[in-house]
Amino acid sequence: MKSAALVLGVLVVGSALAHHSLAVNFDQSREITVEGRLTDVAWRNPHSHLRVVTPDIGGTEWLVEFGAINTMRRLDFETDRFVAGELISITGWPGHRERTMYYLEATLEDGTRLICAGPSCSPER
Amino acid sequence: MPERPPKTMFTGMVDGLTMHGKAGPIWVRCLVWLGAHVPESEVAARRRARCRGLPGPVVAFLVSLTAGWSNLAAQTPTAPDLSGNYIRGDFVGLGEIGQLIDGELLTTEGQRRRDEYDYQTDDPVYGCVPASWTRVWWNPNVVVQVSQDADHVRLRYEFMDLDREIPLATEGGPRDALGIDGFPTLGRSVAWYDGDTLVIDTSDYERGYVATMADWAGLAQSRRMRTIERLTRGADGLTIEITHLDPVVFRRPFVVTFHYVATDYELLDYGCRPEEASIVTPD
Repeated sequence: MKSAALVLGVLVVGSALAHHSLAVNFDQSREITVEGRLTDVAWRNPHSHLRVVTPDIGGTEWLVEFGAINTMRRLDFETDRFVAGELISITGWPGHRERTMYYLEATLEDGTRLICAGPSCSPER
Repeated sequence: MPERPPKTMFTGMVDGLTMHGKAGPIWVRCLVWLGAHVPESEVAARRRARCRGLPGPVVAFLVSLTAGWSNLAAQTPTAPDLSGNYIRGDFVGLGEIGQLIDGELLTTEGQRRRDEYDYQTDDPVYGCVPASWTRVWWNPNVVVQVSQDADHVRLRYEFMDLDREIPLATEGGPRDALGIDGFPTLGRSVAWYDGDTLVIDTSDYERGYVATMADWAGLAQSRRMRTIERLTRGADGLTIEITHLDPVVFRRPFVVTFHYVATDYELLDYGCRPEEASIVTPD
């Protein structure tokens, strides 16, 4: 990973999933990217989550919410590719709570992109 | 506050049963109506009058058979086959959000409850509790399994591992409605068939929320909520239409519709744990 700094980018995306509860908790009009070290991976229902600590002074922890593990299983999403301790870059919708976001895609330490946006989850879009 | 009806009395049931017109020949219908202890209504009164117009010996004979009429009546209507596994499709019909914004739908109390709703603390899902049946049907990407027998319909929802066994009312009268232990905001339900449709009538709700999703988050329900779910099988799945009747919250009936598609996916364990579901902020 070339840069370990926190990167915040703003993109306009469509209104996919506008009727989903995600709309209450996350701003689906923007995307942000967080880069850091993966410290926790929890695959659960109703929502999975990852924790990422950015390398700024003292470290800032982000909670990255993800879909339900049952959904991930049905989509054959490669959940075992996420390994605590490795570097990761995650892009997603910023949460209305501070330092939270909803996963859309990630780039792992080995360069693999894992995308899970809308109805499809796959290694590449 | 008006007196609440007993849990086993469902005023819509009589009309629901008489509308489909598949109760069998006249002697079966009379057998049922002569012996039934059902809430009186215009329709019921008309049926009874017609039956009482039969010759006396015929009536006496029919009455003598009423000892076992309920089983007979339960078997007579042809229940639609709704069994199978389903998963929510794309269609979610919620009406117009303008109904909320313009104050057309909600009462003052309904609006107050909605304004007070705090998505950061009030969503029951953080405690692994589904807010309402509408919230349950609304949830995407989870399987619902339907099975039927002569006396019950069983709906197993992957979401929160809900196992909903609903007694079927027969033409002999309503049965005790059933709820699910530990989920008082889901009320108590009884069901019947209306032609090709399964009708689920639910009342005895605890105060809570109908919706926690999107712009409808905070839509409330009071203890006077009554819902009618109508499940109809189409070419590729199920249509679920839910009518909400709650004079405390809604000025008029509020209807939502979902479409589920038949699926080969199996029902999976959900295993929600409150200590995990409540994690919504970083440390």
